[in-house]
Amino acid sequence: MTALQNIEEIYENRGGRARELRDAGKKVIGYFCCFVPDEIITAFDMIPYRIQGSQSDPIDEADAFLEPMACPFARSCFNMALKGEYDFLDGFVAPHSCDTIERMYHIWNSNKPSPFNHMINVPHMMGPSSDAFYKKELQYFIVRLEEFSGKKLEADKLRDAVNLYNRRRALLRELYELRRENPPRVSGTEITKVLVAGMGIPAIEHIELVLAFIEEVKQRPQPKPDGLPRIFLWGNEIDDIAFIKLVEECGAHVIMDDLCTGSRFFWEDVGQTDDPLDGITRRYLCTHCPRSLEPQAGNRKEDLENRFGYMKDFISRWQAGGAIFYIVRYCDTCELEGPDLREYLNSLNVPVLMIEDDYSTSTMGQLRTRIQAFLEMIG
Amino acid sequence: MPFAGIDIGSTMTKVVIVDEKEKMLASHIGPTGAEHRHLALKVTEETISRTGLRFDDLDFIVATGYGRINVPFADKQITEITCHARGIRALFPGAKIIIDIGGQDSKGIKLDAEGKVANFVMNDKCAAGTGRFLEVIAETLGINLVDMGEIGMKADGFVQISNMCTVFAEHEVTSRLAEGAGVAEIVAGLHEAIAGRVVNMTRHLGIEKDVIVTGGGAKNAGLVLAIAGKVGFDVLVPPEPFITGALGAALVGKDFYGRGVRPAGERKFEEVKFFS
Repeated sequence: MTALQNIEEIYENRGGRARELRDAGKKVIGYFCCFVPDEIITAFDMIPYRIQGSQSDPIDEADAFLEPMACPFARSCFNMALKGEYDFLDGFVAPHSCDTIERMYHIWNSNKPSPFNHMINVPHMMGPSSDAFYKKELQYFIVRLEEFSGKKLEADKLRDAVNLYNRRRALLRELYELRRENPPRVSGTEITKVLVAGMGIPAIEHIELVLAFIEEVKQRPQPKPDGLPRIFLWGNEIDDIAFIKLVEECGAHVIMDDLCTGSRFFWEDVGQTDDPLDGITRRYLCTHCPRSLEPQAGNRKEDLENRFGYMKDFISRWQAGGAIFYIVRYCDTCELEGPDLREYLNSLNVPVLMIEDDYSTSTMGQLRTRIQAFLEMIG
Repeated sequence: MPFAGIDIGSTMTKVVIVDEKEKMLASHIGPTGAEHRHLALKVTEETISRTGLRFDDLDFIVATGYGRINVPFADKQITEITCHARGIRALFPGAKIIIDIGGQDSKGIKLDAEGKVANFVMNDKCAAGTGRFLEVIAETLGINLVDMGEIGMKADGFVQISNMCTVFAEHEVTSRLAEGAGVAEIVAGLHEAIAGRVVNMTRHLGIEKDVIVTGGGAKNAGLVLAIAGKVGFDVLVPPEPFITGALGAALVGKDFYGRGVRPAGERKFEEVKFFS
């Protein structure tokens, strides 16, 4: 079996490996978003499991608890929980990433509690006290896990976990480097499978898979130049290949992203600090999610540069000819950030297509015309 | 050298044939049925017969519109956004903004100085601001869709229609009728509502002269007048607004051909069954 086939199997059967590990006596801790440090959960010898929804299943049971104008990703996750698909989780952790996740934590907790339930408070406005605040919250998270596991956290284990995840980050960046080729030998669809598969298995197993996959990609012959547009994706949760596959089928290469299921969760390393928790605090607080706000600095141009400057490198080094925003409907933070980011990218001469969509594979076909027209426009 | 453009919209199928001087040789319009492929063939056959040419004489065929993937004998499929831009550019060299009101969607397209698509917006998720919206309400009012423009223009003022959801608007119209509002004033209100919807959607592109209104909606003089009112200046309408997409498709085909692109393989001028 090739590494890609392995990855595809895990991608198709999300949760399968976590269930196996749980049956073997491991504790599996489910969590949301990019603000819950995998390192802390792993240092307790537990398995972090990034909770995902299902774009192909309709949301029905969750409608009895959550309004239909709530984020469809959150609703889909909760819908799966109500149907018992997350019964294998020993723990349920939600950060206060956005209001929907925060409120849903309480509804989830009231109706479908796990043996361990916890909410991490994450500051929204970045300022002088943010690090201290968030570190205290992470210390409290550690205390709760100590109570739950009956074990004290060992600093060495936390340091090992930091190194483990930094190793995975480095490998994923290496994989992303391969996307810089034109045309790339690895598709955006394949990348999504690699990343999503990794969210439900131990990092050590994911590292093996990514290593093998990188080797496989390097063995592929270099394709002939095809002149197809190279697309940078920005948005929130794309944990299903449907959308990226559609963009690629319309005649483009998806070559870089800033998504919470993409570069956003792994791009920067955790710094080496005397207390590993300091490095973890800094790293996770700096996650580029539009739910976090930097105080406005300078004039508008300087403010945009301050907020979005990190993407300049993504655009230039990966030679993106256009950007597509894929925003899961009702994500206020992304919808409010979108127009500012569009202005910034336009100032870099990058055309932008902004798409707001339901978290569902059934509506994909309707997007085809808009995507094709955009590709014709920039092609 | 003849080039054909086939525009399969949600309600109408349009075919245009042009020559290498961009002169229109023939055009034809037929209703779009559930069997797109069958119809594409029939309307194309009819158009070709009007030129005295044979199918094999066509140097390039471009399909567009929402049924574009269902044309087995097209050499390329290009979106209606690119095709509308190309068609309008040929008809109105000064065009900057195109407002297309189709049967089931509406679009705003911005053209750059060279007449190429610079940006676009599209409503394709609901009937609001589309021909379908007018069709549903025409039925509720017991009038013909084609008469709506004239009826609305005879109105003395208009009745405010605040619901853009077709289902709720239908309900609102019934309520207004019950309150004694006149049919003409209600129709005028509908035109105002649709015009407001599409113009506001397009505003984000930056509206500037010349604004061209096209698609089936442009056949409704009352609606066009309402759009001009929202835009703040006169808007232009092509002589035959239904066929600008097909015309553009034919011209896009001519452009491809001019750049040396040739049909990929042997074209089979036959319908393909939906279920094989």
